[in-house]
Amino acid sequence: MMTMMNNDLRRKIIDVVYRGKDGHIPSAFSIVDIVALLYREYLKVDPRHPQDPNRDYFILSKGHGCVALYVVLAERGFLSQRDLDAFCTSGGILGEHPDCTKVPGVEASTGSLGHGFPFTVGLALGLRILGMTNRIFVLVGDGECHEGTVWEAANVANNLQLGNLCVIVDWNGSAAQLMPRDDLPAKWRAFGWKTQVVDGHSAPELGAAFDRIVFQPAGTPTVVIARTVKGKGVPMLEGHGVWHHRIPTAEEHQQMREVLA
Amino acid sequence: MGGPNVMRQQFANTLLQVGQEDPRLVVLVGDISHFILQPFAQACPGRYYNVGICEPTILSMAAGLAKTGLSPVVHTIAPFIVERSFEQIKLDFCYQQLGGTLITIGSAFDYSNLGCTHHCYDDFALLKSLPNTQIVYPASPEEFDALFRQTYRSGKVTLVRMPSHTHGQMFRHDDIRFGTGVRLTDGSDLTLIAIGPQLRHALAARDALGERGWQTDILYLHTIHPIDTELIRTSVRKTRHVLVIEEHTWTGGVGSEVLRATRGIPRVQHAFLHLPEAFIRDYGSYEEHCERLGFSRHGIIKTVEREFRASPALVAGSRT
Repeated sequence: MMTMMNNDLRRKIIDVVYRGKDGHIPSAFSIVDIVALLYREYLKVDPRHPQDPNRDYFILSKGHGCVALYVVLAERGFLSQRDLDAFCTSGGILGEHPDCTKVPGVEASTGSLGHGFPFTVGLALGLRILGMTNRIFVLVGDGECHEGTVWEAANVANNLQLGNLCVIVDWNGSAAQLMPRDDLPAKWRAFGWKTQVVDGHSAPELGAAFDRIVFQPAGTPTVVIARTVKGKGVPMLEGHGVWHHRIPTAEEHQQMREVLA
Repeated sequence: MGGPNVMRQQFANTLLQVGQEDPRLVVLVGDISHFILQPFAQACPGRYYNVGICEPTILSMAAGLAKTGLSPVVHTIAPFIVERSFEQIKLDFCYQQLGGTLITIGSAFDYSNLGCTHHCYDDFALLKSLPNTQIVYPASPEEFDALFRQTYRSGKVTLVRMPSHTHGQMFRHDDIRFGTGVRLTDGSDLTLIAIGPQLRHALAARDALGERGWQTDILYLHTIHPIDTELIRTSVRKTRHVLVIEEHTWTGGVGSEVLRATRGIPRVQHAFLHLPEAFIRDYGSYEEHCERLGFSRHGIIKTVEREFRASPALVAGSRT
């Protein structure tokens, strides 16, 4: 299995969280390889024209992973280092959940789980009504898949045949901590979605999955279920322990940076 | 009372006409009014969706439609929009500064035999608690048409509480202006503020109140939020007695808005006819519910006599 480790982005994530004294590092590490690949190679977006009507859309439905999105948006030129440095400070534009009214490049304000995906179903439908061919990606957490609205939206999107929509599930095992009967691929297939399961830290596997999607206004929507590791890249963070919402000490921060060097 | 289908038919007619004029109007319903909206569906292909029984998702989807620049309308039974999907209105619409129109059916206890699962008498309170919202309550077809046209592209979330019953008054289309209340009668002693179909009972009580010495200013508010503070203050400054009649609970209703609107006006006596802070568990017709709850000509007269007969203003002889 090829593994892509975006250590540079992971270092930025821990720096932002350490400086802001808030944030969810393991959730961000779980998705950062997916978000980075999308913004580097797939999404047609332009930081000079963030509202370009022809842009592709990425919605982070699991909003608590947003530091991953922030560092990638900074890499693409939507945000400055100064913006990152002001994470979770008064007057800054970046908080622990993304606010689309403040942050260029953020398409939806998320944080309460089970909202971003149904919102995106409406977005995909609206773009189809307008005759647009934008591609829409939405990333949900596997824990978020506990929310009933995820399955309402999955049902609706397939019935509306929103072929311009791709859901990515961050399958890092959070959901199974509480509900171990966790066969997400079977569930999505049962809802009629084209379902692919890949290593969510592997650029080649993710890329192959995205390349297989035929985006079209009317067609069966696709879900890419990405097997991921919460906290991936720093052993002390990996898994489902205390680090979900913990801020590293100066010493721990240094240790993490060394691991990611 | 105008027939139970008059409002819903106007709703369908207005959507059809506006939909033909404006290609950005998109309608999402939760398996209700499906047949009456078929003319819209036929005339506006691709812009009508009977999505299913999944109201929170319908609200989120509507916000997503608004994100693309379309003007979404969501229509289903009031509690399923306002109560069940409150967080979707809050986060997907209001927090993201997106606008849309929520047209509810089943105002207050209109579904009189269906129990509280289908009642909704806290909708004003809930919507008013959110930024970027406005509320209209048209109880005649002309009002529905005028207020919908004036609000659906406002960029705000507009709640249209659509009652099944009308108040029976005819307003000229051009005279209906969002945010502006209507004074129907001119009196010197008492302000009756009525909303929705209850205007009918306020007007019916007027003559009997006159015989009892109360010359009434009757104010009708089709716009609940923002409320027409100036109209209320002007009337109450004159009458010093005000009775608010509303099919809503006290909490967050028009009564509390009138209290706020009349702050600083000396020697004002307030009274309120509203729903009790309890579930309505009885059955029967809408009219029977009204009668039992005091929403009637008799109930209004009785309330005025009970609340104001011994008012200090009267005793002091300051009623002029």
